[in-house]
Amino acid sequence: MSDATSVAVVELLREAIAVYADDPVGRGMLETYARRQEEPLRIAIAGMAKAGKSTLLNAILGEEIAPTDTAECTKIVTWYRYADTPRVTLHPVEGEPENLPVRRIDGRLLLDVGNANAEEVDRLVVDWPSKSLRHITLIDTPGMASASGDVSARSVRFLTPEDAPSEADAIVYLLRHMHASDLQFLESFRDTTAGHSGTVNALAVLSRADEIGAGRIDSLLSARVIAERYRHDDRLRALTLGVVPVAGLLAQSARSLRESEYTALVELAKLERAERERLLVSVDRFARSSQPPDVSPEMRTVLLDRFGLFGIRLATALLRGGIADSTALAHELARRSGLDELLELINGQFHSRAAALKARAALVAVESLLRERPRTGTGALSASLERIQASAHEFREMRLLATARTAGSILSAELTEEAERIVGGSGVDLPHRLGLPDSATEDELRGRALENLRRWRSQAENPLTDRASADVCRIVVRSCEAAVAGIAARSGRGAAVRPLLRPEPGAGSREHADDERDDAEHELRGQ
Amino acid sequence: MVELVKLLEQGIELARDGERPDLCGRLEQTRQRLLDPSIRVIVVGEFKQGKSQLINALINAPVCPVDDDIATSVPTVVRYGNPPSAVILIPKDSANAGEEPVLERKQITLEELPSYVSERGNPDNSRRLMAAEVFLPRKILASGLSLVDSPGVGGLDSTHSLTTFSTLPTADAMLLVSDASQEYTEPEIQFLRQALRVSPNVACVLSKTDLYPQWRQVAELDRSHLDRVRADIRLFPVSSDVRLSAARLGDAELNTESGFPELVTYLRTEIVGKAERLQSRSVAQDLVSVTEHLSLSLQSELRALENPDGTPQLIVELEAAKEKADELRQRSARWQITLNDGMSDLIADMDHDLRERMRSIQREAEAAIDAGDPGPMWKQLVDWLEQRVAAGVSDTFVWTNERAQWLSGEVASLFAHDDVALPVLRVDDTTGVLDPVEVMPALDPGTLGMMQKILIGARGSYGGVLMVGLVTGIVGMSLINPFSLAAGVLIGGKAFRDDKEARLQRRRAEAKQLVRRQIDDVIFQTGKQLKDRLRFVQRATRDHFTGIADEHHRSLADSVLAAQKAANSFTQERAHRIAEIKVELKRVAALRNQAPSIADKQPMRATSA
Repeated sequence: MSDATSVAVVELLREAIAVYADDPVGRGMLETYARRQEEPLRIAIAGMAKAGKSTLLNAILGEEIAPTDTAECTKIVTWYRYADTPRVTLHPVEGEPENLPVRRIDGRLLLDVGNANAEEVDRLVVDWPSKSLRHITLIDTPGMASASGDVSARSVRFLTPEDAPSEADAIVYLLRHMHASDLQFLESFRDTTAGHSGTVNALAVLSRADEIGAGRIDSLLSARVIAERYRHDDRLRALTLGVVPVAGLLAQSARSLRESEYTALVELAKLERAERERLLVSVDRFARSSQPPDVSPEMRTVLLDRFGLFGIRLATALLRGGIADSTALAHELARRSGLDELLELINGQFHSRAAALKARAALVAVESLLRERPRTGTGALSASLERIQASAHEFREMRLLATARTAGSILSAELTEEAERIVGGSGVDLPHRLGLPDSATEDELRGRALENLRRWRSQAENPLTDRASADVCRIVVRSCEAAVAGIAARSGRGAAVRPLLRPEPGAGSREHADDERDDAEHELRGQ
Repeated sequence: MVELVKLLEQGIELARDGERPDLCGRLEQTRQRLLDPSIRVIVVGEFKQGKSQLINALINAPVCPVDDDIATSVPTVVRYGNPPSAVILIPKDSANAGEEPVLERKQITLEELPSYVSERGNPDNSRRLMAAEVFLPRKILASGLSLVDSPGVGGLDSTHSLTTFSTLPTADAMLLVSDASQEYTEPEIQFLRQALRVSPNVACVLSKTDLYPQWRQVAELDRSHLDRVRADIRLFPVSSDVRLSAARLGDAELNTESGFPELVTYLRTEIVGKAERLQSRSVAQDLVSVTEHLSLSLQSELRALENPDGTPQLIVELEAAKEKADELRQRSARWQITLNDGMSDLIADMDHDLRERMRSIQREAEAAIDAGDPGPMWKQLVDWLEQRVAAGVSDTFVWTNERAQWLSGEVASLFAHDDVALPVLRVDDTTGVLDPVEVMPALDPGTLGMMQKILIGARGSYGGVLMVGLVTGIVGMSLINPFSLAAGVLIGGKAFRDDKEARLQRRRAEAKQLVRRQIDDVIFQTGKQLKDRLRFVQRATRDHFTGIADEHHRSLADSVLAAQKAANSFTQERAHRIAEIKVELKRVAALRNQAPSIADKQPMRATSA
């Protein structure tokens, strides 16, 4: 996001607030959006009931604070924001927000709304001093297609309100298998937010990936194959930027592997293979068995709850394969869970577009306000709104991507594929845009960028290219130019742009990781 | 089962001796039904819940293909047969529209089966199979039980769930499979409610308990959901994988742990047993009614013979009863009127119901067309329309079935005898109903080639150039000058924009026209089918009850005749005849007593089809 656009949007909001100064409703709304420009990006985690939303949220946070349960657990939209001190606030539909006591059981928050009815609660806001929340606000939503209809209705209302742009800037959608209701929801999410501004801002996660292959050791491979199929499914492609398989439970538990669990897993790994297989025939067998004797029944339950049969199988296989300490095991489990891939995707698709996504929400809001509450003196506002929408290249990229994905592009298939990549369809950092591996050197990047630029420029200027295609080509050319400029900036500074939200390494190097992140942010702002 | 057949054969013999071919035919039908028992249990559920694996575990053989991705694409029936074999059913193309499609049975080997019924070998059922049947020599299947593996419902292709629904009415029981990863979801509960309307025997299976430590809690939650739907639905937590490894290892304890023994017992006693009980009850009822008919004339004759003085009185009584029975046969009988009136009401109601449903679909489609450009989204719209139409039609047919059953119950209540059997009616099967409906034609997607665009632009600009060129010609400029060219570009652009708008309007109008025509076609074709079926119901009901009235009348007429004959017979013959009749009556009474006592007095419901 160029600074100019950001500033222009803030300016636009300021002007609008001045015009609507005596309209409390309109003004309140505008002020919210103005504040939102300063706040971190809001990413909602949505999906059908029991898809593993809270578990994934915990995995992303690297800390088990969101309550999870076998029964449907999340019944109220819950926000997780960064703050220095933990605090839980309840926002009722009517009346003043009230503070709830922060109580934790086994690390998890006890979100007890007391005698308030879930119907009367608008949202819960959890302020938490977690590093992962510095740059994003995560929103946990109740499940869709829940057997208790009003719970689903709350989620749908929150994510796809009828008369305003959604409060979430982007969405991570969890699906276990592509179900008709999943597509329905994603379509309506696109219709409410992107329908106005033309963007695709959802990521799909094939959740509970470890259960897809009935907990077999190759389950995640199966999951990967299925995710690949979904990725090429036209219906899902039109609605999401990508599909990744994630074993949420494994990711969550791996990031908080305890020493006692590690010892138990080592004991299990010592068993003969046949014996271990017999032990792992069913959860009941495992919980009841007395083999190996050193693992207590309590520990067995804990292991099952936190890792599942698949996690235990994988961990013991890894331990037998030569992993020798708990940190390495935790790393390996987290890596295999697919969480890293998801975080990279979130980072590539959402985080680097954060400013644009936020600005877009504000622009949509102003636009609908102008349409619904017209008044004198809004002429100038409409004009600057037009100007921003037309001039910001990020919006054009997003719009191009969205039309290419949804309506099909007017370019030939291979050109479309390349165009999508260059405008950031598979990630907005340079190597992704240029289709090179992350390890590509500066020269390779520059070479590829210049080559792309030349080719697309000649395509744009080719007299045989019709006007609509030429428009598309020009947007791509502009992206190529930005890429070339970006390389120049990089070599000028001699420091690499790092992804902001990286999979957090285990304990130890966190401080360092955080420093890197701050650096990177400064750099992005500087561009 | 064998005893029942033997009893029926005795009954047939008696009826033949009594010269009653009508009763003979009735018992013969019952015997045929009894000789070919088939108890279909359909296994349904959303996809990826372990339906195929459940069947594999039930019969201890990997016949239904399982996969990590969506597996089953064609319904597969597993039933008894020796040696093991498999067939696939393919509809023949030559079948005329509107007629029952002719099915071709093709023998395949068991190994080939996955390539026909799995999503991998036959994606989206592109080979257009109707079903596959597998025959296996297994003890559990020997009593006529057949298990049907269905493609998962709730997926993207609601055609799958429609196929499942259309096969439901033919099933004796349904097993709803849901895995232990989570409690029931809204779509599952909805499916359950809908299924309960069509099939009364529903049990739920909680699968994959080997994988989820919290399955007990999920089972409890499911139990409470089920209680809200209907309290008597059974829930079986099972683990197919454990059962299969138990069979491999020969581990009886593991088998008990898998939860399957209970499910098998349920299938044996509740489903198979219940079907058998129902059958024996219906056999018993048939036998009782036949023996009553037979003994009526015999008894009258006996009474007339033993007590010649009372004969005129007896004949008067019998005549009066015959009169009454005759009334039931008349077209003016009350039940006939009720049936005719009810049926015309029903036809009108169903027609209105179908039209109402289709009209609301049409309204929604038109709103969707007005909201955007129908060109690019035409395919989606057609898919949506087809799904909605199919669902609407299926709803109408299910309702029709319910109402038809109710009507025949009403008619039965007008009969004086208690326990009149109801006709077996099944009109809610929607397979093939929509076949004669034409496929939606394609719509112009609205994209223009370069040439067309230039032509449209040129056509518009031509007028502009000419007009302004002529005016500027007055001041001595040539026809083609900067002003006229500018005007040409301006008007050409406008013409292009206008043309685009006009084309969009035209596309919308055309799309609406197509939708309207399609809906019209659907109403026309399904309306015809619906009326045909209701007429069929009317005829079947009428024939059924007329048959009963005829039997009754015939018995009374025979009795009158016998009594009259008795009055005229000679004394020496009389003693002989009395002895004969007594012997005959004894045989009839013996059969009657043999017929198992009818457990409950509820009227028979048509559950086995």
